[in-house]
Amino acid sequence: MSNVDLILPLLVAVPILMATVPIALGLRFDRTGWGVTTLTTTGLLAATAYLASAVYSEGMVTHELGGWPREFGIQLVADEFSTLIALLVIATATAVLAYMRVGGPRGNTFYAGYLLLTGGLLGLSLTGDVFNMFVFLEIVGLATYALIASGDGPESAVSALKYLILGTVGASLYLIGVGFIFMATGTLNMQVLSENMSEVIAQGGQNLVLMQAAFAFIFVGFALKVAQWPLHTWQPDAYQHAPDGVTPVIAALVSTVYAYALGRLMYTVFGPEFLTSTPYLTEIVVTFGCLSVLAGSTLAVIQTDVKRMFAYSSVAQFGLVVTAFGLVTETALIGGIIHLVGHAVMKAGLFAAAGVIAVSYGARTVDEYAGLADNRPFVAGGTALLLIALIGIPPSAGFIGKWYIAVGSVQAEMWPVAVVILLSTMLTLAYSARLLEKMYFTPATPVESPHPSGPVATDGGQSGGDDEHGNERGDESAGHVDTGAFTDTGRIGRGNPDAVSFGMLALVIVAAIVAVLLGFAGGELHDLLDPFATEVFN
Amino acid sequence: MIDASYEILAYAYPPLIVFAAALLVLVLPRILGFAVGALSLASVVAISLLAPEGTHLTRTFLGFQDIHPFLIDDFTQMMGMALGFLGTFAVIYAYSSEASRKLAAIALAYVASALGAAFAGDWLVLVFMWEIMALTSTLLVWQYGGDAVRAGYRYALAHGIGGSLVLFAVIAQYAAVGSFTMVTEAGETVGFADGIPLLLAVLGIGVNVAFVGFHTWLPDTYPRPHFAASVFLAAFTTKTSAYVLYRAIPEGNLLLAYMGGAMAVYGVVFALLQHDMRALLSYHIQAQLGYMVAGIGIGSAIGIAGAMGHLFNNVLYKSLLFMAVGVVIYRTGENDLYKLGGLWREMPLTAIAFAIGALSITAVPGFSGFISKGMVLDAADPAYYGGSEYQALYWLLFIGAIGTFLSFIKLGYYVFLHGPSDYTVKDSRTGQTVAMFSVGGACVLLGLPVIGWPVFADLLPLVDGITVTELDTSLTPYSTGHLIDALILITVSVIGFKLIRKPLSKMDYSDPALIVNPTGYYLGRGTMLATTDLYAAVDNAVVSGVKRCYWAGNNPVLAVDATARRLPMVDAPERQHADGGRPSTIHLRAGIGTTVLLLTIILTVVIWLLV
Repeated sequence: MSNVDLILPLLVAVPILMATVPIALGLRFDRTGWGVTTLTTTGLLAATAYLASAVYSEGMVTHELGGWPREFGIQLVADEFSTLIALLVIATATAVLAYMRVGGPRGNTFYAGYLLLTGGLLGLSLTGDVFNMFVFLEIVGLATYALIASGDGPESAVSALKYLILGTVGASLYLIGVGFIFMATGTLNMQVLSENMSEVIAQGGQNLVLMQAAFAFIFVGFALKVAQWPLHTWQPDAYQHAPDGVTPVIAALVSTVYAYALGRLMYTVFGPEFLTSTPYLTEIVVTFGCLSVLAGSTLAVIQTDVKRMFAYSSVAQFGLVVTAFGLVTETALIGGIIHLVGHAVMKAGLFAAAGVIAVSYGARTVDEYAGLADNRPFVAGGTALLLIALIGIPPSAGFIGKWYIAVGSVQAEMWPVAVVILLSTMLTLAYSARLLEKMYFTPATPVESPHPSGPVATDGGQSGGDDEHGNERGDESAGHVDTGAFTDTGRIGRGNPDAVSFGMLALVIVAAIVAVLLGFAGGELHDLLDPFATEVFN
Repeated sequence: MIDASYEILAYAYPPLIVFAAALLVLVLPRILGFAVGALSLASVVAISLLAPEGTHLTRTFLGFQDIHPFLIDDFTQMMGMALGFLGTFAVIYAYSSEASRKLAAIALAYVASALGAAFAGDWLVLVFMWEIMALTSTLLVWQYGGDAVRAGYRYALAHGIGGSLVLFAVIAQYAAVGSFTMVTEAGETVGFADGIPLLLAVLGIGVNVAFVGFHTWLPDTYPRPHFAASVFLAAFTTKTSAYVLYRAIPEGNLLLAYMGGAMAVYGVVFALLQHDMRALLSYHIQAQLGYMVAGIGIGSAIGIAGAMGHLFNNVLYKSLLFMAVGVVIYRTGENDLYKLGGLWREMPLTAIAFAIGALSITAVPGFSGFISKGMVLDAADPAYYGGSEYQALYWLLFIGAIGTFLSFIKLGYYVFLHGPSDYTVKDSRTGQTVAMFSVGGACVLLGLPVIGWPVFADLLPLVDGITVTELDTSLTPYSTGHLIDALILITVSVIGFKLIRKPLSKMDYSDPALIVNPTGYYLGRGTMLATTDLYAAVDNAVVSGVKRCYWAGNNPVLAVDATARRLPMVDAPERQHADGGRPSTIHLRAGIGTTVLLLTIILTVVIWLLV
């Protein structure tokens, strides 16, 4: 126990320091990024697992940086909630590396950004200080913008720029909120804030108004960061145009950790008492969440680009999480957290699957997925499992999250929320069924080809072996060229199955299996999180 | 009492066995795989018979304690036997009907989920299995491709809505009662708490048992997949749901009883109007479910026992009918009964099997349907056990029985009797024959006077031997009064059919279709137009909803442009292919400026509301 708390600063500092290594080594060697990153994240994963075992057996672990008392210095906190998220972050970051080894993107600078992102996310999860949280928000944000922009083509750059501007605005709103909190209480430590909160509520007056304004700024700032409708506009572009290897990380982790931060602020800093005693507050949060669920799902249904469809689906699923936070019951809070984790696993798997399919089958739109099950049974099977889990058919991660949120909504007697969950299930079913039906029940249709030409020159993309495999379906690739559907990735023929490594496929399959297994672990997750929820509500 | 060696069966959880078989079917050689499937289901019958009563495999699940996935009592024992027995022969039937291994695997997974729902000992497990059943049955429909895909999509939506309603009913039940208990220690069924839980549960289960108005998926879906898949579909979802309906509302309810009556009449009226053989049978599923719902709605011991008995029989003879019709489709490739005829000369075995099924469903004395339908009718008949409030229900059910007769005379007449056959085809294959006559044999055996039916009656819950325990009266299906009732029923029906045929010979039409069809058409049309308003509205809404989704999915640019033009502040640039012109990309972009504007507005509103 004695030294467990030292892991906390290491978890944050090591990846950020290691981020410089690939660049430094890059002066001499070409490809060191992946190795350095894998070593770092694996080490961090082991450390986090050790930390988790300590936290879940003996309770919260804290560390004061530099030995400064928490009123003035920065405190890192690993409790049941933050440890779970940290574990999710580092496990996902490690797992996705299996995809990147072959699936790209490559380059030492890219991996420097990746490590920076990992460090930022861990810091965001573990920090116990509201201003420090802003710093990590910015680190995560900048790393994310860079990673998105690392895609080829102008689209990636434009969407990264859009995300940069909007994300910075969102973070600034949060900073304003933090300013108000500091004015009202004179402290930035979350623990101290939560202890002072009941006093502020009891006093009322100016300080309470400041806190209410702070909440407004913080909530709206995070609503943008978490991509709640209608502030989600950066998100589908960013997810769609990010390189295929990057999207799983961003989709699974970045918004998830932002949502964690929102939950942490709402429940640890402001606290249930403030949330329920402020008029309209829970209504606003729940309305926001519900609108996102409905609008996000509806938009997902009408998409034809699969990555974009999944992106809108994330808008909806995070809506569900925000709704759960807004219900302010123990069960709903736990449900929201479980859904956060479950969604991360499912979306990482789905986006990885979208990447694998884009490379191996040349398919990016729903229609192009036709006949996938016959031609690429493994990735199709993994995708299908993940989609079924996303709908929330038991046993799956999607089910347990929805289940606890639904139970919470019934406990809170918020019947409209129950209806929204019902509708969201329907709409998720609608877009998943479209994809499932295409993959399993529609035979692959050869695209009409006005130019029955041979091999087609491409922009060179990442797939190397464009010769024999490319030619097998040469006529179809000509069709793609004809429709001009051909600009951003190396789409050669009907895909290039050899370009998919075992690791890429394994990521999809493992995510699918984990998504199903989590369906059996609902009770265990609930028990893990229960101490946190109990403490918050008392 | 119970042999100790049977105790181990408490760990043989049937759904798991069947699901394992489903996986094996995929990998084993075809004949071996199907054999394993059939054996797994036969073992379910044995387990149901021999496993000790009580709740088994108690677990903690999702943080809730005392979850019982495996309950054995009178009801589940009967369900397990019915589903297992039929399933065994449905697999054999599927084997000789050239069903693919994929179909068999999905069908077995579907059977496993239905068994899971049937053996569930509490509401949480039930709702779990309920959702899986919706999924697997959809896959079974989809598996056939073609027309079935669209119908399957509608099916999925209907069952998704129904399943979610049941889910919320269970949650609301938990909120109201504080437990998921379905059956108490003493074996009493708890049922849903009054108010929202009960309402949601009845509506949700109502989708699955095809309440009038909620039934559109049934005749829409069941005629479309592979004919061997139809045999599975016909037996499992609806019957399991009828059993669950009893668990949900064990006390009965007058409105529910009358819903049953309405279903019986509505089902047979529409069955009479069908051309497609399997559609006709599908409407009969609704009609027969009507009897079960009526029995459950009446809620007396004999009503429930009758409903469960009817459920048991229905599993057998309705699947038998689907099997016989399946053979006809298999051999002739024809679904329309007006295009068939005289097939009894070509396929006498199939004709006999069909006749057994038809005589059972029409409740002719000596066949199994007679016992159970008689019990439901007795439960409603004020002259026997029914209250005076059930007089009208009795007549509804009686009309339903006449309609059943008419439509099976019609089906049998046009498929097997009428005219010479246009087809020269072989009879059923061996496996099909074995399956049909095994199931048909059970139908006959269970209905035989003196010999078979007491055995059947003993099987029913709430009945001990042939004594209805709560009422302390014996069942006497072959009493004079019952036989006279049956005679009246048969006479009225035969005269009814004669009435339709008489003008036929006088007017010298050579083809009876010309008279039956128009009569049915014109008589039916008026009522049909009125009654189908709801049907049409629901169906249209669903179809156009799905259509619109598909259209929007296929023409996202048009759809979004159309929507975007109505929204302020959203740029919907005309054909500006910033991404290189990929045709499927949607150009709905709220720019950075717009987003910041939105952000400001929202922030203002939130601050205004909060502060």
